[in-house]
Amino acid sequence: MSPRRGAWPLWLVLAVLILLHFYLRPRLYAGRGAPDFLLLALLILAFRSKPGWAAVAGFLVGLVEDVLTPARFGAGMFANTLVAYVAAWGRAVFFADNLLVNFGLFAVGTWLRNLLIYLVSGVGVGAFLASVTLWGTLQALTTALAGTLVILAIRHRVDFRLEE
Amino acid sequence: MQRAGSRPGLRRDTILFATCMALSVAALLLPGSATDAITTSIRETALKPLLWLQLRAEEGRTSRARFSQTEAQRDTAALRAQSMPVLENENARLRALLELKSRQPSGFLAAEVLRQALPTDGRTLLLSAGLRDGARPYQPVITPEGLLGVVSRSGPATSVANTWAHPEFRVSAVTDSGGVLGIVAPSASADPNLTVLEFRGVAYRDTVPDGTLVVTAGLGGVFPRGIAIGRVNGVRREELGWERVYRLIPMVNPGVVSHVLLLTASAAEMPPATGDSVR
Repeated sequence: MSPRRGAWPLWLVLAVLILLHFYLRPRLYAGRGAPDFLLLALLILAFRSKPGWAAVAGFLVGLVEDVLTPARFGAGMFANTLVAYVAAWGRAVFFADNLLVNFGLFAVGTWLRNLLIYLVSGVGVGAFLASVTLWGTLQALTTALAGTLVILAIRHRVDFRLEE
Repeated sequence: MQRAGSRPGLRRDTILFATCMALSVAALLLPGSATDAITTSIRETALKPLLWLQLRAEEGRTSRARFSQTEAQRDTAALRAQSMPVLENENARLRALLELKSRQPSGFLAAEVLRQALPTDGRTLLLSAGLRDGARPYQPVITPEGLLGVVSRSGPATSVANTWAHPEFRVSAVTDSGGVLGIVAPSASADPNLTVLEFRGVAYRDTVPDGTLVVTAGLGGVFPRGIAIGRVNGVRREELGWERVYRLIPMVNPGVVSHVLLLTASAAEMPPATGDSVR
């Protein structure tokens, strides 16, 4: 995952996504169905990284989320580490340059992250079902849509294939 | 650089993954007092620029709508204030007649809610006011509609509030007329889209009609008396024939709140809240 020559556009994209998460998202709509740009940045980084480094990135993003949403400290780290690790392996398995596949990976990654957070946080059955069936799915779709648009906008400038 | 699937690379990936997972599980097992120190220190140092950015964005989003709302509230308050001097004089005379001490002034602190993307956002909220602004743990968090929660911990520039949806939230409560006392606690409804409150500990002989407003009782020294909590919406269950538990529809939805007030004087120091919804 270490930066190499020509990798700076990727880091620029990640920086922009972090800015979008902390500035554009609260500015427009920060409801439960709004896209999670931080997770999107993590997934894009995971697709570009080896699984071990993706897990480290997931752990750090999870730490940030746990610090900002302290419902259950450690839940975000656990969920994001697992999702980033699986995403890095998933990228090696699936055909990565297909936009539909990217959309699916973003959606499944977000939905799985939300599911894990609810499982680990120990919320009630009602809230858990609401997350799985409604808000989690909605956020997964909006995040996937935003991710696909990002990929569409930058795929000619950033190489998303795994380094050989 | 080695390929992802090569043996040394695979071993390293596995070690990194296992380490991160072990640290995550360790974090889950940490006691609350230890996590408070970690989260506060990270929030007030490394994440400070990002939170500053988010605060500016929140202010930008809500400022226009809030300006119109504030104008309307100011006009209403100005109208009501016209009769205030007469009432104050009358109140002072009556207090002097009864030899009562004068009331302590009540204080409040305005704060923005810094929304996060995690699905558990809503049980706890990150607020833009911290110790430097006067925020302290156990200060009630309210909105013009009623009670939202209580500050659970404060850092220098930010605070964390537990909303009424948090499993540990409890408040002593009383019906608007003052006739029925109980404890209000959150309850996950059978309908996943409707998380509600429960009005517990109501004696079996007492009946609370639907639509009754339930407010804070002022017992316990945290919440002043009279802050609206919710309205009764039927009996949820009956416990062994001696207690009724009522379903309560909360006055405030934590999912949509963007601006809150922290009551800075303790319940013992504060007079009962007044106003239309904050009673």
